[in-house]
Amino acid sequence: MAMTELPLEQNSTAVPQAGTIAPRGASTPWSRLARPALGLLLPVSLALVWEFIVWRGWSNGRLVPPPSRIFETILALARSGELWPHIKATLTRVALGFGFGVIAGTMLGAVSGYWALARRLLDPTVQALRAIPSIAWVPLFILWLGIFETSKVALIAVGVFFPVYLGVMGAILSVDRKIVEVGRTFRLSGPAMIRRILLPAVLPAFVVSLRVGLGLGWMFVVAAEFMGASEGLGYLLIDGQQLGKPAQILAAIVIFAILGKTTDWLIEIAAAPFLRWQDAFGKQGGQN
Amino acid sequence: MLALDKVGKIYPNGVNALARFSAEIAPGEIVAIIGGSGCGKSTLLRAIAGLDRATSGTVSLDATAISAPHEKIGIIFQEPRLLPWLSVADNIGFGLSDLSAHERREKVARSLARVGLSDKANAWPRELSGGQAQRVAIARALVPQPEVLLLDEPFSALDAFTRRDLQDHLLDLWADTRPTLILVTHDVDEAVVLADRVLVMRPRPGRLFEEINVNLSRPRDRNSPLFDNFKRHVLIALDRSLDRSVPDRDARSGVGQSMWW
Repeated sequence: MAMTELPLEQNSTAVPQAGTIAPRGASTPWSRLARPALGLLLPVSLALVWEFIVWRGWSNGRLVPPPSRIFETILALARSGELWPHIKATLTRVALGFGFGVIAGTMLGAVSGYWALARRLLDPTVQALRAIPSIAWVPLFILWLGIFETSKVALIAVGVFFPVYLGVMGAILSVDRKIVEVGRTFRLSGPAMIRRILLPAVLPAFVVSLRVGLGLGWMFVVAAEFMGASEGLGYLLIDGQQLGKPAQILAAIVIFAILGKTTDWLIEIAAAPFLRWQDAFGKQGGQN
Repeated sequence: MLALDKVGKIYPNGVNALARFSAEIAPGEIVAIIGGSGCGKSTLLRAIAGLDRATSGTVSLDATAISAPHEKIGIIFQEPRLLPWLSVADNIGFGLSDLSAHERREKVARSLARVGLSDKANAWPRELSGGQAQRVAIARALVPQPEVLLLDEPFSALDAFTRRDLQDHLLDLWADTRPTLILVTHDVDEAVVLADRVLVMRPRPGRLFEEINVNLSRPRDRNSPLFDNFKRHVLIALDRSLDRSVPDRDARSGVGQSMWW
């Protein structure tokens, strides 16, 4: 299928070059389909090759089950009603941890970006804490917060906090002085300066830090669920290892991949209307 | 009336950028400030804009001292400095947030038509050429109808053709409301084509060296001998300003006022 779409992809890239200025949101129906399809080419063909190898009996696929067996496992889990509670537990932990991490990271990052005194007071401590591998907090969090949800959410929030904090602070510090001066010549008040100049200027970097933070959130939820969870996708991983079910491990991994990609994509979609103005290499699809 | 009274600026690092600069600029006058690099011309402009405070002396507009950006003083920088997240129309309307949305739209539309960019109203700044972007910057500065418009080497980043085009365009726009224009430049041609009066500054510390009145009628022909004469005159003054053997005091009495044609 990818083979037939390749020529169309080339067609569509010729369109923006026709005018001096590419019209905004200019994508033909072809390119809208063809571009994501291109990204599927590599994983899908690898999966098909492995499926074929196992199907021909060249490998028994016991330790690396073929895709069909992984999907069977997912379907079986879904049919037995087991899957949804696991997904829900993990999603809830990530959502809570991400939420708290983002709130704390944004507030502290904004304060130390905007206010030099706060930065001098706060930043060295935050940087020192950042140097600690976050997993090292686990025993302490369990002692303090118990073995149930609170300690897990706290661990995820810590993981999310640092990239968001750094992203917000760095973005505020690097706002172009010349643009701020434009605000000054129009006599913007402090709040107006924040709303009309600083916030929009910081937004692209903020979205990037949210996405990095979310990625770390997904990483830390697994770590959190490794230490004594009775449900969640991380529990499925451990369970699969202990009972020798590689298909279940891979099923959980596939679901992690899907959820991670989907939530990342949601952030991208939600931010897109605010970032249409950006003049970036990637916006034109990079080097064609 | 914009009055500069012994304006001086010493930066915290000890650099004496500007010393005892005095001038009176009448409403509607176009003044060009020209001089070698480091002669304090941008420092002076920023002091008038209220972006940086002078360390001595005063800047006053109609007897009100200027120490912070003032609503009657607009500024155009060397770069357009458009806000990349606002459309062209919203950039022009940036300084009109006090008005109702309806009034703002009307003013912006009129201004866009005036600078010939009506078709770009909804474009992003990145989609504009350098000359178009600078025209938007001019429109943004002019739309609140300032009494004084400061221009800090506004066309120096543009190619020669665009620069000429925008110089003529600026004069055309100026004729609408006739604000005072104070233009910092290092382009002698630009100074003579635009200004009623050219102030030549000399460096270390930046100070006024010579005043040249350009009494040529408008529109000015860049190729006329008279125009060349004024250009040569400014160039001579610039040369003398950089010649340390020429004392400050004599400068004014030189070739200055007595024209020889």
